[in-house]
Amino acid sequence: MKENEHGFFRHGENAYLANFSESEREVLTNLVEQIIELLAERVDHHNDDPLAAMVGITMHDTPPDDEVLLRLLPNAYADQVDASEFRRYTESTLRQKKLAHAMAMRMYLMSAVDGIVEVDHDGANAWLGAMNDVRLALGVRLRVEQNTHEDLELLAPDDPMRGVYAVYSWLGWLQESLISVLMDESE
Amino acid sequence: MVKVKDKIEEELQAIFSSDAPWITIVWDDPVNLMSYVTYVLMELFGFNREKAHELMMKVHTEGKAVVSTGSREEMEHDVARLHEYGLWATLQRGDQAI
Repeated sequence: MKENEHGFFRHGENAYLANFSESEREVLTNLVEQIIELLAERVDHHNDDPLAAMVGITMHDTPPDDEVLLRLLPNAYADQVDASEFRRYTESTLRQKKLAHAMAMRMYLMSAVDGIVEVDHDGANAWLGAMNDVRLALGVRLRVEQNTHEDLELLAPDDPMRGVYAVYSWLGWLQESLISVLMDESE
Repeated sequence: MVKVKDKIEEELQAIFSSDAPWITIVWDDPVNLMSYVTYVLMELFGFNREKAHELMMKVHTEGKAVVSTGSREEMEHDVARLHEYGLWATLQRGDQAI
C-alpha cells in the first residue's frame, strides 16, 4: 500500500494532484462503493407520500440499527424526541450530501488518467468527506472506541482485522496529506 | 379545545420568552484526525487556523467544545453541516448542562 509515497500535492492554482497505483485505486473505489451501497440501503422504499418525499421528509425517525450507518447519520440531539423529529426532516438531505461526496470521489477515481487524480478545492472537500466516512465505517468495524492504536498494531498476522487496520491507517495518511496542502494555502 | 390552546400557549411561550441561546457541541471522536477537525471548523465557520486549532484541542483534551451559539434553527443548520463532514455534533439549549 505504500506505492504512493507523496499523497496529495499542490499543482498550481486551486489544483491538487495524487498519483495512485492501480491497486490503490481499486481499494479506494471498492471502499467508496461500499459507502454508496450502505447509504443507498437506507433509502426509504415505503414512503408513500410523494410530497413528503419531494421536500425531503422521510419516514425515518428512528436511528439506523446498523452501527456504521448510525455513525454516518448520527443523532443531532441527546433528547430522543427532538432527535427523531430532526431526523425525520433532515436525514434524507444528509444522506444525499454524503452520497454526493462518495460519488464524486468515485468519479475522480474512475476518470483518472495514468492513475493521476486532480481535484480543485470543492473536489478536495468531497474527497475529505468521503475518505472520512470510509474511515468512520472502518473505525466502527475495528472498534477504535475500545482498542488503542497499540492494540491494533499488535494484531496477529492472520487476523482479518489486520488488513482492515492497514487500509484505515493508509487512508488516514492520505487524508492528512490532502489536509496539509489545503492548510498551507489558507495561511 | 382547552388542551390545544394550552399547548399552543406553551409553545409560544417557549419561542418568545426564551432568551437563552442554543449551542452546537462537537464531541471527541477517536477516528477523526486532529488536522481534519481543525480544517472542517475553518471551512464551515470561517475560523482562522489559530481559533480552529484551539477549539479542536478543547474537543481533544476535554472531550467536547461549544463551536457555535445562536438560534435553534441556526444551530440545527450547523449540526447538519458538521454531520455532512463526519464530525460528531449535537445541539441543545445553552442554559442546559452539557
